[in-house]
Amino acid sequence: MSILRSSLLVAGKDLRIERRSRVAMQQVLPFGAIVLVLFAFALDPDRGLLSRVAPGLFWTAVLLAALLAVGRAFAVEEGNAARDGLRLSGLDGIAIFFGKAVAIVVELAVLEVVLGLGVVVLYDVEVHGLLLIVAAAIPATIGLAATGTVYGVLGLGVRARETLVPLLVLPAVTPVMLGGTQAFDAALDGRPGDGWPWVQLLWAFALLVVTLGALAFGPLLEES
Amino acid sequence: MTLKWLTGLTVVSLAVTVVLALVVAPADAVQGDAYRLMYLHVPTAWLAYLAFFVTAVASALWLWPRTRSTTWDLLAGASAEVGVIFTGLCLAMGSFWGRPIWGTWWEWDARVTTTAVLFFLYLGYLALRRTGVTAAERGKRCAIAALIAFADVPVVHFSVTWWETLHQDATVFNPKLDVHFEGFWMPFTLVFAVFAFTLLYATLVTARLQLAELEEGKEERELERAIERRVRVPAEQVPV
Amino acid sequence: MDHNWGYVAAGFTITFVTLAAYSGWLWQRLRRTRRSLADEGD
Repeated sequence: MSILRSSLLVAGKDLRIERRSRVAMQQVLPFGAIVLVLFAFALDPDRGLLSRVAPGLFWTAVLLAALLAVGRAFAVEEGNAARDGLRLSGLDGIAIFFGKAVAIVVELAVLEVVLGLGVVVLYDVEVHGLLLIVAAAIPATIGLAATGTVYGVLGLGVRARETLVPLLVLPAVTPVMLGGTQAFDAALDGRPGDGWPWVQLLWAFALLVVTLGALAFGPLLEES
Repeated sequence: MTLKWLTGLTVVSLAVTVVLALVVAPADAVQGDAYRLMYLHVPTAWLAYLAFFVTAVASALWLWPRTRSTTWDLLAGASAEVGVIFTGLCLAMGSFWGRPIWGTWWEWDARVTTTAVLFFLYLGYLALRRTGVTAAERGKRCAIAALIAFADVPVVHFSVTWWETLHQDATVFNPKLDVHFEGFWMPFTLVFAVFAFTLLYATLVTARLQLAELEEGKEERELERAIERRVRVPAEQVPV
Repeated sequence: MDHNWGYVAAGFTITFVTLAAYSGWLWQRLRRTRRSLADEGD
């Protein structure tokens, strides 16, 4: 089976699990939304502060929710010897990596749309430069998902996985945090010229992690 | 025996460094005496990066089947542990220097921020090292984690540097108040300090590696001996 | 500029106390492990 078909197979499996269990929709999404509300409590909601720092708050909320999504993506492999099933399936490690990452991308995409609407509504944000926003969100999400996938498999079968994987992921995705925030900032501020370079950076990061992740996933899965 | 010599040499060099840094080197024209913390900050920074480079190389050597050996894995861990300590000290010394010079304990400039991210990257790596039970389990996971972190650092550095140019305030205090090491004693002390700290790194890593090699497999051997002892117990004495 | 000696002193103290503590821990563990390994041989 080709890598593409194998990947879609794995992605389909993960998304089907999600459709049945609805964990991302009913738990991760609300979690992200609650984080947005928490920020309003933490900061001054009155003097336009929230709308000014909205890009950063958005990406922070997405990042934290993504940690949960990644944890969930690998928690589903822990029961019923699913890990062994995956290993014995004969599927290429690269394909499994792409499949799991794609599933996470889909979930994060939905999350970002909803949280984006949340930010517009809750923080009174005027949307400009939608093209730049989408153009930045795509590589940012890919980078996040890929990083989460490779550290997620690294954590399979490891004690204290739930606390270790977030600790590993967060420093590593600093470029996404910076790039996403700056690009969104430029878009909302009406200066897209400042934002496009950050989109390039986000793509560079995404490419780096996807490459490393694809190479490392198979060996790590065997080891877990 | 080499370790004893190395340790002795390190202690002497460090003592000389302290004397040079605090007494012999003159006060800076602009920054007065606060700059002396640079004699700690600069060497620890250099060694922090060296330590993580060693971790990356050792990890790669472990991953490559033809050079695979537990020693590389243990070296990666030892170097990372020492590296984290140096990184922490580097940040702390930068902070203590920054307070009187910048007026704040922290500045979100490129170097400081990247160093902070590096600190957390390797803290995570150290946490990962403690989760494996056997050498095999630990080796692969940690080697890959170390290489990913190492590849990430340039990207982080680049994005943070870029970010810094966007938020640098036009304040009176230039956050990049770099120290100028002029004359003879200032640059000499700096070079000597780097030399002394490099010796310190070598000593600490060697000792830490020795410790790791001695402890390696200790748990497995203890388990084997416990099983062996149980096997030798005669049938009547085995509790039913 | 003399009042900055406080920061210098604090910085140097913290550095060398930390290094001494780590070294001390290392050497103590080394000694203990070597001793217990010697016992293992029995």
